[in-house]
Amino acid sequence: MSLELALRTTEILLAFAFLQQSAEHLAGFRNEQVIYGPRLLLSGLLLFGIATPWVLLGLLGLGLLILQRFQGPYNGGSDKMSLLVLCCLTAARWLPSEQWQEYAFAYLAGQLVICYFISGQVKIVNPEWRSGRALQDVFRFSAYPVSEDLRGLADRPRLLWAMGWAVMLFEVLFPLALFSREALVLALFTAALFHLANACLFGLNRFFWIWLAAYPSLLWLQERVVL
Amino acid sequence: MLPLLNLLLPALIPSWRFFKSVDPSPRVEWAMLAAATGVAAQWHEFRARPQYLTPWAMACRMLWNPRWNETLFVVSCAERLTLTPSSHSQQEILRRISAELERTLPPGACLPYLQFRLVFTDRNEDGRLVKAVTYQSDPFLIAGMASA
Repeated sequence: MSLELALRTTEILLAFAFLQQSAEHLAGFRNEQVIYGPRLLLSGLLLFGIATPWVLLGLLGLGLLILQRFQGPYNGGSDKMSLLVLCCLTAARWLPSEQWQEYAFAYLAGQLVICYFISGQVKIVNPEWRSGRALQDVFRFSAYPVSEDLRGLADRPRLLWAMGWAVMLFEVLFPLALFSREALVLALFTAALFHLANACLFGLNRFFWIWLAAYPSLLWLQERVVL
Repeated sequence: MLPLLNLLLPALIPSWRFFKSVDPSPRVEWAMLAAATGVAAQWHEFRARPQYLTPWAMACRMLWNPRWNETLFVVSCAERLTLTPSSHSQQEILRRISAELERTLPPGACLPYLQFRLVFTDRNEDGRLVKAVTYQSDPFLIAGMASA
């Protein structure tokens, strides 16, 4: 995968994620609409590849306005990943030499690997996660389950223990997938399913779309550096 | 400029420690009052989750989920209000509750004042769930709050 193809694929996926996020805010307050209306428009331009470097700069400006408006991320990790993807893409489109463009895009790929590994590592050293208790707590009393019926899963400790270990092992072993193309494709497909499950069970739909947008960077980096 | 940089840095160098531990979880509850000096008689959970969600509803929420994402933002404001109290978090919660009341209650059902509180749920050493009220706002006049 060439750098140009990877950048363009990322732009299309990012545009789609931003269109989805922005549309949700257009149903909100007026002072959100004045930020997210232009963001929707710029995302449309990004989708069709029109004046891309300037559009990315505009989206970055709006991203900073959004941070200020909500005094931090509106949607936690998904907003952070949105900004990270956007910053790396903007840098890759504006930096003068191809070498620096590659560094900027590789940073995104590196963060993607780190994000899965760190998420797994912090869980696996925690006895509550290893025993399955933490995932029970997530279902029993956290704010995330989308329906009351889902809280019933807290009473299935064996299932949650197995689910917890599956997630932890997948996350900490994720970096090993870099050593084979087939393994990386399989790992990214599994990760996407994981985000899909989180979207269904915990309503984290924005995470699903924005994490997909970071995947082309890793596929490109693997081909560029490892294989 | 510096405050904005402080907000941006966690996105550029994220910690990625998702669910490192499962901390006490806040619920936002609201009550309406007839007068600013009144005492709340009944507390209601802000946007209580449905009993059941069909697979079709889950699929639709992949593309359109503004209410739930707003609810998660309110939870985030509740956590911020507990850790680093600010009028921004308080106003965000009040605005979103009043907008929800305007949207869902029949005309004339609203009382003039709104109060909210944060109830944190946690598990004690016996494994039982315990709840604690950690914050209670003053009563605020509802009129015009949702459009503020």
